[in-house]
Amino acid sequence: MAGKGRREHQEEPLDLVPIMNLVTILIPFLLMSAQFVSLAVIDSTLPAIGPPQETQEEPDDEPPLMLSVAVTDQGFTILGDNGVVTGEAEEGGEEAAEGEPEPTVPCTERPCTSVESYDYEELTRMLGLIKDEYPDDQNVILVPESRVHYEVIVRTMDASRNDPKTKGEDGSYRELFPFVVIAGGAQ
Amino acid sequence: MALKKKKRSSKKEELAITSMMDMMTIILVFLLKSYSTTEVSVTPSGEMELPTSTAQQNPEMAVQLLVSKTQILVDGAPVLNLTTMPDEQNPGQTLVVVPEDEKKGQMITDLYDVLLDKAEQAKALGEASGSDEHAFKGRILLQCDKTLPFSVIREVMYTAGQAQFSEFKFVVYKQE
Repeated sequence: MAGKGRREHQEEPLDLVPIMNLVTILIPFLLMSAQFVSLAVIDSTLPAIGPPQETQEEPDDEPPLMLSVAVTDQGFTILGDNGVVTGEAEEGGEEAAEGEPEPTVPCTERPCTSVESYDYEELTRMLGLIKDEYPDDQNVILVPESRVHYEVIVRTMDASRNDPKTKGEDGSYRELFPFVVIAGGAQ
Repeated sequence: MALKKKKRSSKKEELAITSMMDMMTIILVFLLKSYSTTEVSVTPSGEMELPTSTAQQNPEMAVQLLVSKTQILVDGAPVLNLTTMPDEQNPGQTLVVVPEDEKKGQMITDLYDVLLDKAEQAKALGEASGSDEHAFKGRILLQCDKTLPFSVIREVMYTAGQAQFSEFKFVVYKQE
């Protein structure tokens, strides 16, 4: 008979009300501090304000290579300390280095109308070739035109930071030019 | 009599909260997963959409400068309004600009005053704390709408540079 009484005792439902109270209090608290988008930051130091020529005339800081990428509505133009880098050096002279400056990496449609019409992959590839020649260089100067959208600038910074197609020995992406400085830009 | 008895006995029955508990537990796990301790937060709105980037660096606390399509805010307080005018070079399109009477050359005067105030405050705080960790480093978090033209960004950056902020951190959405 005593055993029967114990069984009855066990069948009593578990009292979940205090746990419910706890959870109900926890939910608003967690909702408050929940973040549904994850943020990151891109570092950049103070740019040199002024026309792009000025930045190229100060080679004291970076004697080996003053790599700049001009972003216009025609595409990306890669500039070194000795002039415009074209596809010629790497690919065997399809474009003329002199005369009308042709963008090194032209847009897929010209003039560029949307963020996607810039050829970021080709820019990454070109910068990778330059990185092969100058493995110690880490800086790149961005020279965007006034009308270039902020998103294009961010995407360009991504494209010049690392190469997602080539992996290094430690499994991370190959680093290209991680220190991006934004220059005053062309008017 | 039989009816009354039935009603009373159903009243004595306990509320079934097990299913509710299940739901709450799932919500709890989901919320814990999205729990974040970063100090920087963004309030998404129609006028303000950050670009997406592959950058991985986590944001840290600094003065927050927000440039949306219509206004500039510093630490949540509005400083000035931006105007939209038709783009002369591309007919049919509009261009966001800083009003001419708000700036002197490239510098946005109102923004400069506010930022200089913030810089002085941060410097005083850094000195009072006496530690290197809190010293003023000229760090500024820039949250800009992704469709803004570079001309606006350049003017904002120039103004911040004049107000002794030289370490820019562009806040972006992390690509998943």
